[in-house]
Amino acid sequence: MKQLLCVLLSAMFLGVCGPAAAVDYSPHDTVVYSHMTNVGPLNPHMYSPSQMFAQEMVYDPLVKLQEDGGIGPGLAERWSISEDGLTYVFFLRKDVTFTDGQAFNADAVVKNFRTIMNNESRHNWMGIIDKIDRFEAVSPFEFKLVLKSPYYPCLEDLSLPRPFRMLSPASFPEDGDTSKGIKAPVGTGPWKLVKTELGEYDLFERNENYWGGKPNPANVLVKVIPDPVSRAIAFESKEIDFIYGEGQINFDAFDRLRKTPGVEAKISGPMGTMAVALNSAVGPTKELAVRQALQYVTDKGSIVRGITLNTHPQADTYFSPIVPYCDLKLEPYPFDLNRAADILDKAGWKIPQGKKFREKDGQPLAIDFCFVGNNAAHKSIAEVMQAQAAAAGIKLNLLGEEADSFYSRQKGGDFGMILSPTWGPPFEPHAMVSSMLLPSHADYMAQIGLPMKAEIDAKIHEVMSAVDKKERERLYREILTTLHEQAVYLPIFYSVFFEVYRPDHLKNVGFGAGGTDIPFEKITIE
Amino acid sequence: MADMNAHGDGHAHGHSHDGACCHNHAKNTRKSRPSDTDKKTFRPAVSGQKAALGLSAFVLTALLIMAVFAPWISPYDPVEQSLENRLAPASAEHILGTDHLGRDILSRLIWGSRISLGSVGLIAVLIMAVGFTVGSLSGYIGGKTDAVIMRVCEAFMTFPTFILALFLIGMFGTGMTNVVLAIVITHWAWYARIIRSMVLNLRNSDYILAARVAGGSHISIFLRHIALPVLSQLTILATLDLGHMMLHVSGLSFLGLGIQPPTPEWGCMINDARQQIWSNPELAIIPGVMIFLTVLAFNIPGDALRDMLDPSLSDAGKDGCC
Amino acid sequence: MLKFIVKRLLSMIPLLLIVSVVVFLILHLGPNDPAMSYLRLSNIPPTDEALANARAELGLNRPLVVQYFEWLSHALRLDFGISFTTKAPVTKHLLHYLPNTLYLAGVSMLITIVFSLPLGIMAAKYKGRWPDHFSRVLAYIGVSTPSFWLAFIMIIVFGVKLGWLPTMGMGGLRHVIMPAVSVALMSTCINMRLIRGNMLEQMHSRHILYARLRGVKESYITRSHVLKNSLIPVVTALGMHVGEVLGGAVVAEVIFAWPGVGRYAVAAINNRDFPVMQCFILMMTVIFVLCNLFTDILYAALDPRIRLEEASSNG
Repeated sequence: MKQLLCVLLSAMFLGVCGPAAAVDYSPHDTVVYSHMTNVGPLNPHMYSPSQMFAQEMVYDPLVKLQEDGGIGPGLAERWSISEDGLTYVFFLRKDVTFTDGQAFNADAVVKNFRTIMNNESRHNWMGIIDKIDRFEAVSPFEFKLVLKSPYYPCLEDLSLPRPFRMLSPASFPEDGDTSKGIKAPVGTGPWKLVKTELGEYDLFERNENYWGGKPNPANVLVKVIPDPVSRAIAFESKEIDFIYGEGQINFDAFDRLRKTPGVEAKISGPMGTMAVALNSAVGPTKELAVRQALQYVTDKGSIVRGITLNTHPQADTYFSPIVPYCDLKLEPYPFDLNRAADILDKAGWKIPQGKKFREKDGQPLAIDFCFVGNNAAHKSIAEVMQAQAAAAGIKLNLLGEEADSFYSRQKGGDFGMILSPTWGPPFEPHAMVSSMLLPSHADYMAQIGLPMKAEIDAKIHEVMSAVDKKERERLYREILTTLHEQAVYLPIFYSVFFEVYRPDHLKNVGFGAGGTDIPFEKITIE
Repeated sequence: MADMNAHGDGHAHGHSHDGACCHNHAKNTRKSRPSDTDKKTFRPAVSGQKAALGLSAFVLTALLIMAVFAPWISPYDPVEQSLENRLAPASAEHILGTDHLGRDILSRLIWGSRISLGSVGLIAVLIMAVGFTVGSLSGYIGGKTDAVIMRVCEAFMTFPTFILALFLIGMFGTGMTNVVLAIVITHWAWYARIIRSMVLNLRNSDYILAARVAGGSHISIFLRHIALPVLSQLTILATLDLGHMMLHVSGLSFLGLGIQPPTPEWGCMINDARQQIWSNPELAIIPGVMIFLTVLAFNIPGDALRDMLDPSLSDAGKDGCC
Repeated sequence: MLKFIVKRLLSMIPLLLIVSVVVFLILHLGPNDPAMSYLRLSNIPPTDEALANARAELGLNRPLVVQYFEWLSHALRLDFGISFTTKAPVTKHLLHYLPNTLYLAGVSMLITIVFSLPLGIMAAKYKGRWPDHFSRVLAYIGVSTPSFWLAFIMIIVFGVKLGWLPTMGMGGLRHVIMPAVSVALMSTCINMRLIRGNMLEQMHSRHILYARLRGVKESYITRSHVLKNSLIPVVTALGMHVGEVLGGAVVAEVIFAWPGVGRYAVAAINNRDFPVMQCFILMMTVIFVLCNLFTDILYAALDPRIRLEEASSNG
């Protein structure tokens, strides 16, 4: 009987499965990175669950974002823009093939543009979609794009990680519509996706014939590690070589790693803003005085020191001054409790005898502060701001909710304050500012109570079609100054990317030009 | 102790008709089934048991005092932050140091006992209420009602409990209320079944028959001869389960599905402390010790109670067939 | 025997039907709007028009009964729809992760058996002496320790401080040790005491007494009578621990970044990816039921009284 038992049990438990096969790669020639999830099906024309950094690895745009924020050549080596700003002609590189051997030419570009424009409604968050009139292949290596009306960020939009990226014509489905899926993720980029093991890793191999020069490492292995704590531990135990990006590890882990000998821990320049949007349409934040007071009561310096451990620069304006058009030298709101108290007192918000929080006409000064509850950093920021506001008699009710309810509050404007990080390059400022026109965004909902909202919207439309750079500078200045003066946004700090590696193992590690690309190809391995 | 924790998933087993803790076994044909035998597993040496009981009484009293008098005994406001003083080591001002937002750990532990004990108490009361109502209705009315109720009970007992609780929270959303509800929903069926079998046994007993012959109304018979004895056993049953429920609550809180910030809760504190696992591992260890001690303190008297209540245990050493 | 198995299998059907109704109703009567989650996870701005489209696409605007039968008929074909997050068929992904979870659960069960058997036997054999006391203290500690906390302490000690064991992911045998131990501790302790109790009970039973009187050797008695009879109930107990172990595996998978269904399901809970959650709970329940069925059959095979009784009764 005992034998029977043993046989049955072992058959039951070990026969079912053994550990999965090991990954086949050479450790001397592979960068081991990690990401929250698998990289997904890598459809260049679609969104989640395809991951942006991996779409960047496999697919190229016509024009590329440069490190200085400008636009440089990509698959198009040069381009011309007509005087009226309506016609763009792209002169394509002639030495490019897709990694499946298909030739890259203007026909391939047309094929890609056609499927993207057929799925217009999916992409209408970007301004260019509305403006495109027609496109055609003028010659095998000349592609012409004609707009309905001038749109200055046309090139910027074309450089975004998705959807204007080039898929091999052979990978299109039979009906040519990629929105339902593609045959295989084949592009012209420096990397090829060779293997995906769900929940474990994705393996990339270099494109030996990459037009930009052969990448240095032979492989990039992306392990799936869902949470930041496990990721830091994995780096510690050398299960991964490389940490790159925002939110990959938490502040404490970064702080510890940068003090560890043999580890290089770098911080990038500003990559977006951690900001709170204040609702100008409902509740106490309807009043300019309350919005201004909230700016004064927030001690950003202490958040930067206490929560980010001095890794992030304090933010005084909604967009960082390094963002194009945004170096406006606006007057910052300093941390000043007396001034806040003064403003509130004048506006009629007084602290009644024996009470902790201010009131006006019997109404308490209480504001709902919404954020996504399972994000540890957001949770800490909200908790600190709650304590800081309480010092001036402002009560913040924290609503740390699931992404779902957070999202529907954002859509419906059902918030007093909402933690709303900006998108970072390459989306700033133009895509971010365009989105202020869309009712389903927190920005729109926050601004809707402003008396001059119609005027702001008109200026946004105007700036997008302004051909003259001076004109654009003027309009951006006016829009952003109004928003700053109206105190609709409470910027806290500029987000940055962390990069951690061991310099005795990896060399030539830098930051990508935009917020979405990781320059794996430049890394050399010792 | 051991047995009680098997409770959750234990009775999913198809034909353990009678609950582990009900000692009125109608049939005794399967005495070697775990549900019957496992209560006999614990016959501690008397002195050791006394010491353990003393310890557990001490811990439970201390916890109760902490929970009730939290506002007076905690040295600081548990949500008051001081970022300048984050992750401070133990000192005279902060006996257990401070967390990542500079909040006093001791105060958070003390206030956390309110949530932890409160939620477990609430769960026990709710489970008893639901289990009692459903179980006694089913047992006393019998017939089709009984059949339907028992089918539903079986369905609920078919799920692995922790996984059903996860699913429910996924559906209802996170938060302490939903954690409490999820645990009640995953556990009531066990209680309902046990109570049903108790009621069934009592209903068919001679003295109920006698009472009925004497002309007692249903309600008065039910209240006097069934509800009272069942309720007293039920309370004991629930006490045996408190430790197990506590582990459920803290497990769900740990996964971030329980109480929201800044309210202190032990499972949640361990989750927060993951961020500081290298620099300050004690942040995760201390709340864990609290959970461990509380569960232990619940489990020890549970065992003693079981020993006391089960007459078969007194002579079990001599004759397994009793 | 065959009759017994068929009967048990048939009795599962109504039970699983009720289970499916419960799972379906909880989603549709709960405070959820699957269409909203669908839009959010697809990065589509939730305009009223988009919401209406999503509702139509997901079939949410039909009567509940119709929706249930549609869902059930798909579920019976193992089709739980498309995940809101990954846009891939839910069943395909969950079945992909399932072997990893079963591997972890299997190793945990193995640990449970390997450790609880000798410890339980020793405790019974040396009742009242130090092995017994040791096992009692161990049992108290084991069932009172939150598994996630144990996992933490192991990570701190063996992963961070000593660097002996990998702290995350799946790989060789070294990877599975810490997660499996954290899952197995509680069931090991429960089982150990169970074996001890059964052994003691058997040792004092009449037939053992008679065997002793007949002059059978003590070691033979222990091996062939006592152990055999005390192990029968343990088989059933192991079936019950499967539920405990599956639940524990969810927590361990999250902590140790183990690529199993539990981790996938917790992510789905945070994302409100409803099809994944529904498939997850049904899959786990079926596994649990099957394990119990299996131990029932095993039990009946070992102990003829059970199947005779089941066959003669009508319930």
